[in-house]
Amino acid sequence: MDELIKDLSSAQEYKEGFVTEVDQEYVPKGLNEDIIRLISAKKQEPEWLLDFRLDAFRKWQRMTPPQWGHLKLPRIDFQDIIYWAAPKRDEDRPDTIDPALMETFDKLGIPLREREVLAGVKPKGEVAVDAVFDSVSVTTTFRKTLAEQGIIFCSFSEAVREHPDLVRRHLASVVPVGDNFYAALNSAVFSDGSFCYIPKGVKCPMDLSSYFRINASGTGQFERTLIIADEGSQVSYMEGCTAPMRDENQLHAAVVEIIVEKDADVKYSTVQNWYPGDAQGRGGILNLVTKRGICKGSGSHLSWTQVETGSAITWKYPSTILKGDYSSSEFYSVAMTNNYQQADTGTKMIHLGRGTRSRVVSKGISAGHSENSYRGLVQMGPAAEGARNYSQCDSLLIGSSCGAHTFPVIRSQNPHAVVEHEATTSKISEDQLFYCTQRGIAPEDAVALIVGGYAREVLSRLPMEFAVEAQKLLSVSLEGAVG
Amino acid sequence: MDSRIYVIGRDCAPQFLRLDAGEELSMTLVIPPGTDAGLSMEVDLAGPGARLDLAGVYLCPGAERVDLRVLVRHATGGCSSRQLFKGIVGGTARAAFDGLIYVAPDAQKTEAYQENHTLLLSDTARVETRPQLEIYADDVQCSHGATTGYLNPDELFYLRSRGIPEAEARHLQMQAFLAPVLRRLPAEIAEEIHASLP
Repeated sequence: MDELIKDLSSAQEYKEGFVTEVDQEYVPKGLNEDIIRLISAKKQEPEWLLDFRLDAFRKWQRMTPPQWGHLKLPRIDFQDIIYWAAPKRDEDRPDTIDPALMETFDKLGIPLREREVLAGVKPKGEVAVDAVFDSVSVTTTFRKTLAEQGIIFCSFSEAVREHPDLVRRHLASVVPVGDNFYAALNSAVFSDGSFCYIPKGVKCPMDLSSYFRINASGTGQFERTLIIADEGSQVSYMEGCTAPMRDENQLHAAVVEIIVEKDADVKYSTVQNWYPGDAQGRGGILNLVTKRGICKGSGSHLSWTQVETGSAITWKYPSTILKGDYSSSEFYSVAMTNNYQQADTGTKMIHLGRGTRSRVVSKGISAGHSENSYRGLVQMGPAAEGARNYSQCDSLLIGSSCGAHTFPVIRSQNPHAVVEHEATTSKISEDQLFYCTQRGIAPEDAVALIVGGYAREVLSRLPMEFAVEAQKLLSVSLEGAVG
Repeated sequence: MDSRIYVIGRDCAPQFLRLDAGEELSMTLVIPPGTDAGLSMEVDLAGPGARLDLAGVYLCPGAERVDLRVLVRHATGGCSSRQLFKGIVGGTARAAFDGLIYVAPDAQKTEAYQENHTLLLSDTARVETRPQLEIYADDVQCSHGATTGYLNPDELFYLRSRGIPEAEARHLQMQAFLAPVLRRLPAEIAEEIHASLP
């Protein structure tokens, strides 16, 4: 085993690491009120949204970055970032998509033409995609089909123009502007993202998906996603992301807000594959995001599934506020770190309503010199009679130079609530490896097999085409860790 | 095995302990009702083969403030540690448990376990638990478990249906909950704890 685990030398394969050559326009580097006014003007935003941004910016200026993460975060110079970059529109063909962008998303396996399917397997249904390239949404597919059922699925900028009331009512209602340093920054400079509204009683006929691509150098991506599921509706939402290979760190600070009304059901899946940096820990995306949902009405349900394999640094805690009585939420996570990656991720389950239920399953895998932490909060409020939570956090260590940590917090204020938490840390045992190798499976394949089995409980929750992708990602990320 | 018992408020518990190669220690902390305590304890397992068996019980039925911090540091490999903390919290009491298991780089063949269980008896009591693992070596067996809950009403019904009065039945339940820690104590202290259950 010891010979198997040698330090990483082989270059890790990151096939999404290419750069697309397109003419892009930028706002000047730096951040001040003028830049925010400029971004807002470029997007032709209404007055209230500009005020919202400026208010957020003023709050942000008085805030300091959070230090509690188990991370060695490089100092970020917020004046050295370009806050808005977009591919130039072709004046002659304003309605069509630039072929270079089309090609980029084709290469990434994201179908921008309708009636095509994600690479890999052929799924049963179709997937509607909102593709975001740097700071703008390139296109959103299947809008007509969805609109027939009253579903709104479009870019955030469009939603601001066409459905200002909906946006205004729900924006920052789950993640307040001053929630944390990065959420405040996002509220000030957010560019594009997806907006989704499912009307009462509608079951969304296809999976919805957002794909985020960073391309321009020296920029950050600050997308904003807002999902509203009205009474009794149902939707499955997926999110994917990639970026080019560069020696600099690029900042990605997103905010995702989900509102789940009475009896509605939202499933949110993420496969995060930002560029993780090279084997020496140079470059990579700093992924500092705030994701939160609220189960507002009784009987509502929100499920988070995430597969985190990319990013130099991940700081991410998809959380649920269980406000409605008998609402429920789940969090399934696989976080894989290799080389010098650092991840501090987990969830918060805040039980306010009666009989609320939550379940947390987190599987961490660390290899190389990486650091992988689970951080979670389970809180039982005074009114959470009969609420229940079960959390399970497992860590798997591959190699002796990495770290795996668990930092849960349990807070109970209710004598009729039950919270259970358990965590284990271990490595792949010699016996398991021996069993595989004596049956002729190469050590590297054996490790991939064992890791796949270890993560299966989470992977099986993903929509099918995503699960295949995730499985592949896990084995690629492991490459060089063993053998 | 060296075995020590500390009743907080009467005995002076050590803040820092170091176990060298082959040393074994069994320690039990008792925080009786009516005691406010801010206790922090650090145990270093500094030599191979050191073994720690640590347990604690805290009873806070009134308006107590208890803040327990335990750090078990595995500085070298081949050591084992086991922790078990049980608490009963009622009234307007506040109890917090913060336990960290730290496994240093290259502290291979470490075995470390930690458990913390709390019963909450009233609407106005507050419990906070932070069991933490910080691990920098791969060939280890580490786990922790934490629960907060309440007295099982089915058990209570079972006892009462056999003619045991409610107060007594509740005491039996609490005794059973605390038993894994209480049986480590000498009879007189265990008796005292039984008598003081809310």
